[in-house]
Amino acid sequence: MSEASHNYLSAKKGLWSWLATTDHKRIGIMYAIACGTFFLLGGILATFVRTELGTPGETILDQDGYNQIFTLHGVVMVFLVIIPAIPGILGNFVLPIQIGAKDVAFPRLNLASWYLFMAGALMAVFGWLFVGNVDTGWTFYTPYSSGASNAVLWLTSAVFVAGFASIFTGLNFIVTVHKMRAPGMTWNRLPLFVWAIYATGIVQVLATPVIGITMVLLFLEKLMQIGIFDPALGGDPVLFQHFFWFYSHPAVYIMILPAMGIISDLMGTFSRQQVSGYTFIALSSVAIAFLGFLVWGHHMFVSGQSALSSIIFSMLTFLIGIPTGIKVFNWVATMYKGSVWLRTPMIYALMFLFLFTIGGLTGIMVGVLAVDVHLHDTYFVVAHFHYVMMGGALIGLIGGLHYWWPKMTGRMYNETAGIIAAVLIFIGFNLTFFTQFFLGSRGMPRRYHDYTELLENFPEFAALNMASTIGSYILGIGLLMILVYALYSLFKGPKAPANPWGACTLEWTHTGPLPDEHNFHETPLVTRGPYDFHLADDVFGPKEEN
Amino acid sequence: MAQGQHHIIPIRTLAVVFGVLLFLTLVTAVTARVDLGALNVPLALIIAGSKAILVALVFMALKYDNKVNLLVLVLGVVFAVVFLALTLADTEFRGDIGITEPGTTELSVEPVESE
Amino acid sequence: MSSAGTTLKHYFVNHEQQFDAAKLGMWLFLVTEILLFSGMFVAYAVYRSWHPEVFAQASELLDWRLGALNTVVLLASSFTVALSIHFVQKGENDKVVVLLLMTLLCAAIFMVVKYFEYSGKFSHGVFPGAGFEPHGIVDGKDYSKYDIPFAPQFFSIYFVMTGIHGVHVLVGMGLFGWLITRVARGHFSPQWYTPVELTGLYWHLVDIIWIFLFPLLYLI
Ligand code: HEM
Ligand SMILES: [Cu+2]
Repeated sequence: MSEASHNYLSAKKGLWSWLATTDHKRIGIMYAIACGTFFLLGGILATFVRTELGTPGETILDQDGYNQIFTLHGVVMVFLVIIPAIPGILGNFVLPIQIGAKDVAFPRLNLASWYLFMAGALMAVFGWLFVGNVDTGWTFYTPYSSGASNAVLWLTSAVFVAGFASIFTGLNFIVTVHKMRAPGMTWNRLPLFVWAIYATGIVQVLATPVIGITMVLLFLEKLMQIGIFDPALGGDPVLFQHFFWFYSHPAVYIMILPAMGIISDLMGTFSRQQVSGYTFIALSSVAIAFLGFLVWGHHMFVSGQSALSSIIFSMLTFLIGIPTGIKVFNWVATMYKGSVWLRTPMIYALMFLFLFTIGGLTGIMVGVLAVDVHLHDTYFVVAHFHYVMMGGALIGLIGGLHYWWPKMTGRMYNETAGIIAAVLIFIGFNLTFFTQFFLGSRGMPRRYHDYTELLENFPEFAALNMASTIGSYILGIGLLMILVYALYSLFKGPKAPANPWGACTLEWTHTGPLPDEHNFHETPLVTRGPYDFHLADDVFGPKEEN
Repeated sequence: MAQGQHHIIPIRTLAVVFGVLLFLTLVTAVTARVDLGALNVPLALIIAGSKAILVALVFMALKYDNKVNLLVLVLGVVFAVVFLALTLADTEFRGDIGITEPGTTELSVEPVESE
Repeated sequence: MSSAGTTLKHYFVNHEQQFDAAKLGMWLFLVTEILLFSGMFVAYAVYRSWHPEVFAQASELLDWRLGALNTVVLLASSFTVALSIHFVQKGENDKVVVLLLMTLLCAAIFMVVKYFEYSGKFSHGVFPGAGFEPHGIVDGKDYSKYDIPFAPQFFSIYFVMTGIHGVHVLVGMGLFGWLITRVARGHFSPQWYTPVELTGLYWHLVDIIWIFLFPLLYLI
């Protein structure tokens, strides 16, 4: 069989060869299709939200409609896109190859986790379409949720089921990293993306069960009024918030850690030098994973929790800044005196650096107890978390998808189109969300469909909201552009070489343009680190000029 | 060969542990019948904890096993305790400032009606 | 590449690696179980410390002798499981079958006792949640006296904790049934007994959870 026709895509044909596959690469692609679809759905919902807010008064949605739309936007984006996407798509596709393994440790569990994820997603959509309305926000706070329609039962079950998908993914990666490394792939030769996914796995395994039990208890609260969380029955709604955030704060690290891993890899490859502070970046991922469990109460400063715990949580929150800062400084240092090659993935990496830093710093701001009492439930918080979740996690994902696109599809995309889209996204994103820092710090509350009455005292809200809405359209156009040139590349793009970026990690150096069904012809023997460019010149020729 | 070389725990050890577990069950049942005041709960928890450790180390063979598995278990327990401890840091001190129920504080001014 | 009942999956280098991976995976799974239950323990701790008298009083309605019986039954089943691993390691598979059958029996006894406990409670209106309406007299205890604020919380927590634990016992029974047929068909040997060992780990964890539930719910 000729070299070109023998790869993971051509090895088997037909729909069933996908739906029943245990190949980690194919499962990664299936996650990509699923998450991509949900991202489109979530994005459409977001434009509804922004359109409603673009002008004061009722624009396209009434109050109830608005509440339902932003709830669904949040649920879809958090649980069906940002949490599963990077581990599901890139973790699956890249991680086993990067450590020189033939597959993950439990391939069938891997497939099962995709099915669980899809089952969860379908339950959520079913509940929304056919059972009733949910307007609780993605946080499902009681008593909103215990009083909402029966669709809550479907959504909580959906989160429970999708949660187990996340657990199985994380568990699989932890075991894979521990037990499946190729000869010579020592812990300090792991690519930083692997370290990040490993740390993420720890969080997935330790935190996700708690959202599971929270959803079970909420389900029972709604079904038979067990009175744990519902204040009308003697339950404690603040206890619900503890349960929810014990998972959901660590969950924000499930979102961001993998993106940080991507950025580390991109910084090394496109600066063509050793990633500065490798050990610090690697261990700071693990530190973030653990510290992330100690700060959940910073979401509850005005919930009525005890002042003592607010103070403790506020102080612990500041600690998170340390490992995060270590990473940011090391990324900057990696570029210093490197030969930075500005290709689309690297542009996203730089964008990440800029946007995530804003997001992280504003996170510290709202982590200050006295400040957050004013900013909580305003657009300032909305801006903060979009800077980290979209500007951080999602931009990281998009950068990673561009980077690994040639390896996944065997084709190149159009570089010019890539750069134009990136610029549009950058402008659109900042216009959308930077304005929200102004809105929030002046007191515009979140989760309201109208702000007419505020205009009397804050006439600038009209212009700021309009700007934000226009920004969101530009952002949308940029994202759609990616979809268009990605599809074009898939069918018409030029064939990719095995290592278009001159990268040093195994997925580039030891596989063909498209990896084999079982990744390698023979198990690689690893003799150098992931970013030892000076040692790798014998493996691939000098980088092509741009 | 693989699993053929694994440590086989002698029946004697298993039986002794089983005996101790039964004994501790008896102790906890009996001590719970007498009122030890504030000691009731800690004693019951210490006994339960000891039983759990015995099961984990011997029946689950962690004592003889790869230490990574032990580490995994310890991490799980540690974070369960973190969950408990930081939640109690709220619930045990709920209302430590700004108590607004009538009679709990001497107010020189009328309390502000919330909502 | 087959050795006594198992094949080495192509993505593993050797059996040792395959076994180690399975075992680490199982331990990680057990940790998720611990954290799943931790939520219920937290709810218990919070409500108990808010309403200690109510919890002390409400727990009188649970029969500690039945709880103790079930504790002994589960400990015994843990012992038989540990023994079964001892014998599978020595290749004495007929003993393994007997021990696993005994384990299954213990699990069944546990569930039967729970059935009687639950139905005894239900028949006197002790339900989780909205249905809570205790009535009738048992063992000289007037159930209607227990219709006090926050008693429903105690019983909600009791039913949810023991209920989810019970589901785990049922799953365990299914696993043991499956294992017994496999041992009987000679699938395991001293060279390969991973499923026996992993199911054993699962079962011990179910036991450990009960070790905590028993004193917390029935005794103190
Ligand atoms: C430097 C690290 C960070 C700090 C100190 C921080 C701090 C905070 C604080 C204190 C809040 C609560 C604000 C309020 O509700 O009043 C908050 C909200 C939030 N943060 Fe962060 N954050 C950080 C990073 C992140 C990251 C990396 C993500 C996600 C990728 C994230 C996602 C969120 C979300 C989703 C919310 C709002 C949740 C809601 O109420 O709907 N944060 N953050
Ligand atoms: Cu947080």
